[in-house]
Amino acid sequence: MNGVPLAAYLGLGLFMFCVGIVGVIVRRNPIVIFMCVELMLNAANLTFLSFARYRIAESSRVTIEAERSVMAGQMMVIFVMAVAAAEVAVGLGIIMTIFRSRNNVDVDELNLLRG
Amino acid sequence: MLLLPIAGFLLLALAGSRLEKMLGKRAVGALAVLPIAVAFGITSYLTQQLAGIDAAHRSIVMSGPSWIDIMGLRIPFELLVDPLSMTMSLIITGVGSLIFLYSTGYMGAEREYSRFFTYMNLFAAAMLLLVLGNNLLLLFVGWEGVGLCSYLLIGFWYKDLANAKAANKAFVVNRIGDWGLTLGLLLITALVAGTTRHVPDARYLSYDAILPELKIALERHPDMATLAAFLLFIGAAGKSAQFPLYLWLPDAMAGPTPVSALIHAATMVTSGVVLLNRMHVVFESAPLASTVICGIGAFTALFAALIAFGQTDIKKVLAYSTVSQLGFMFIGCGAGAYWAGIFHVTTHAFFKALLFLGAGAVIHAMSHNQDMRNYGNLKKYMPITFTTMVIGTLAISAIGIPGVFGFAGFYSKEALLGPALGDTNGDMGGVSALALSGQIGLFVAVLTAAYMMRLTWLTFFGKERWRTQPIVAEDHEEGAHEDAQPRLATLDSDPYGFFLSSEPKSVEEHDHALTSDHTPKEVSPSMWLPLVVLAVLSVGGGYVLENNGLLEKWLQPSSAPVTSFVPAEAPSWLPMVSAGAGLLGLVFGLIVANAEKFDLAKWSGLRLWARNQFGFDELMTNFAVQGGSELAVVLDEGVEVGLIDRIVNGSAGVAAWIGKVLSVAQRGLVRSYAVLMLLGGIAILSYMMLGGKH
Repeated sequence: MNGVPLAAYLGLGLFMFCVGIVGVIVRRNPIVIFMCVELMLNAANLTFLSFARYRIAESSRVTIEAERSVMAGQMMVIFVMAVAAAEVAVGLGIIMTIFRSRNNVDVDELNLLRG
Repeated sequence: MLLLPIAGFLLLALAGSRLEKMLGKRAVGALAVLPIAVAFGITSYLTQQLAGIDAAHRSIVMSGPSWIDIMGLRIPFELLVDPLSMTMSLIITGVGSLIFLYSTGYMGAEREYSRFFTYMNLFAAAMLLLVLGNNLLLLFVGWEGVGLCSYLLIGFWYKDLANAKAANKAFVVNRIGDWGLTLGLLLITALVAGTTRHVPDARYLSYDAILPELKIALERHPDMATLAAFLLFIGAAGKSAQFPLYLWLPDAMAGPTPVSALIHAATMVTSGVVLLNRMHVVFESAPLASTVICGIGAFTALFAALIAFGQTDIKKVLAYSTVSQLGFMFIGCGAGAYWAGIFHVTTHAFFKALLFLGAGAVIHAMSHNQDMRNYGNLKKYMPITFTTMVIGTLAISAIGIPGVFGFAGFYSKEALLGPALGDTNGDMGGVSALALSGQIGLFVAVLTAAYMMRLTWLTFFGKERWRTQPIVAEDHEEGAHEDAQPRLATLDSDPYGFFLSSEPKSVEEHDHALTSDHTPKEVSPSMWLPLVVLAVLSVGGGYVLENNGLLEKWLQPSSAPVTSFVPAEAPSWLPMVSAGAGLLGLVFGLIVANAEKFDLAKWSGLRLWARNQFGFDELMTNFAVQGGSELAVVLDEGVEVGLIDRIVNGSAGVAAWIGKVLSVAQRGLVRSYAVLMLLGGIAILSYMMLGGKH
């Protein structure tokens, strides 16, 4: 695969995931938090795909099991994308509603359920 | 026969007050008396039919529909026609109809006339069920039924708190007896069901089916026989007012006088004796229990007779006299003379009903004042009542000339005491407990004659004390009768009860008091007619029934001993001594009555003590009622508040505390949740990666 090693893909995925986590934790704007969540999901997707690709590349001959694991990894990515899309649709709706009722979407202010 | 009083009860209960308005009181009275009078006719007819049958077969079971039918136990509605049930039915319906007739006069001024007769009819029905039922459960139904009616009738003037309390007391004390009876029934059922022999149709409570089996079962388990006998005796003692359960009977005098006569003298209180007769197999198998019964009977007789001297209320004297006479019956039954118990029940029904009704007539004539200290010389004003009361006194005092003729009580008392006195078993350190009881009985016979003489003398002879003497303060007057006198006027003039809705006492205070210019009048015919009939029975009843052992032979099938236990023969000196005891008592009573001090403050300490039932009532009240409520308080404070509440509240408190501690985590800061999630995820992952290797 053009000489790019697996570790590079995994390192990129790890970096993206860490950026996502830090973003979720430190930011107070829910839209940015969403973006960060997307970043984490995409990091996971990248990891799935690179493992699927390198599974075939490593083995000397193409077996049924290898084919299946490739298909499984790619399928999981499709799943994740679909779920992420749905999640964004619902999440943005919730954010819109909160903003309408409170004129404010700062997550630190949303503490009605504090014990 | 049983259905008639029930029909009368239902009719009066459902339509009584309407009928009273529509047709007047006469019609209601007639409707009330009619069923029981007709029932008396039917009973007499049945008795004649029964007498025509051969003595060995004088026991007819009339089966009705099944009542309880569960696996292995069948209890049908069934009636037993035998000499015992017929004798009792004759007393109930016969004396009952006389008392009903009397009540129409006595209660004539009463507002809730139909309610009274509703209860009376219900009582008659329940009592008939008690004696006629062929199984112990029907007896129990009747038993509870008469208890209920007794409660309702004692509390008939329920507006007075004292009456309501007396009714409650009667009910509660009776419960103790019922507890014993219930356990006895269960024990008997278990015993019979435990025999291997076949009981027809699994009717484990029916007399005809179980009595033979019971004998075998009890012979096998003598200890069980003693236990069953004691349990049944507790039941009998509760109903028949034996020591220490007699407490309710004197208080029951708060009810109307006809009720006292019917329920608390003639019928209901004798149901214990009926029970003893029915189940005498059990008692014969348990000599120890029988001896105890005899002893308790003797003690009760003595105890109550002594208390009677301390009473000033005419009805209270009769009440204690009833307790005492019931003690006599238990002496007889304990000594094995079961038929004599029924004999005394019969004669006692005659003369005690007579005395109570006579007392009622006196009370009626004296403006409902019951205190004998205010009476005197009433023979001048009430000749019929006087004559009949004297006859009643002679009958209860057991006056008679041996071998020639005697009043009713003479024969029955002799029959009761004979077997006890004749007992020669040295079962108590050489002295026979039964004989000792009999001797106590003889002594009590003297006392009986004495206190009855005192009653008669104070009431009918001497000066007219209500004129000369200021009305003695009624220290514990029943206060029951404020309802009675002026009702008629208000009822007629005021159909909507305008006056009655206001506080009745204020209106009637004047009518109640016995004033010094009061002139007693003889009571109306509907009241003295029963007195005369009962007086005739009190004179001749004993003689006729005793003649050639008539009653003894008649009751033979149901009261003959079934085991080898045979009551002892009466000693030959008994009739002379018994007659002497009666006469001695009369003389003694005369002395007591003439020496009577009317001011309670001048009484000797012993007598005041007797007046207060030797402190027994107080003791029991303190012990049972106050002790009970103190126990309840202790339980409330100690167990309820201290333990149970603490458990409940404590567990809730623990939950709240945990919640408070944990609520720290719910900071409401979304980003901190994210951090926690992250840490949690890391923790799980590291566990899986590191810990999973092991």
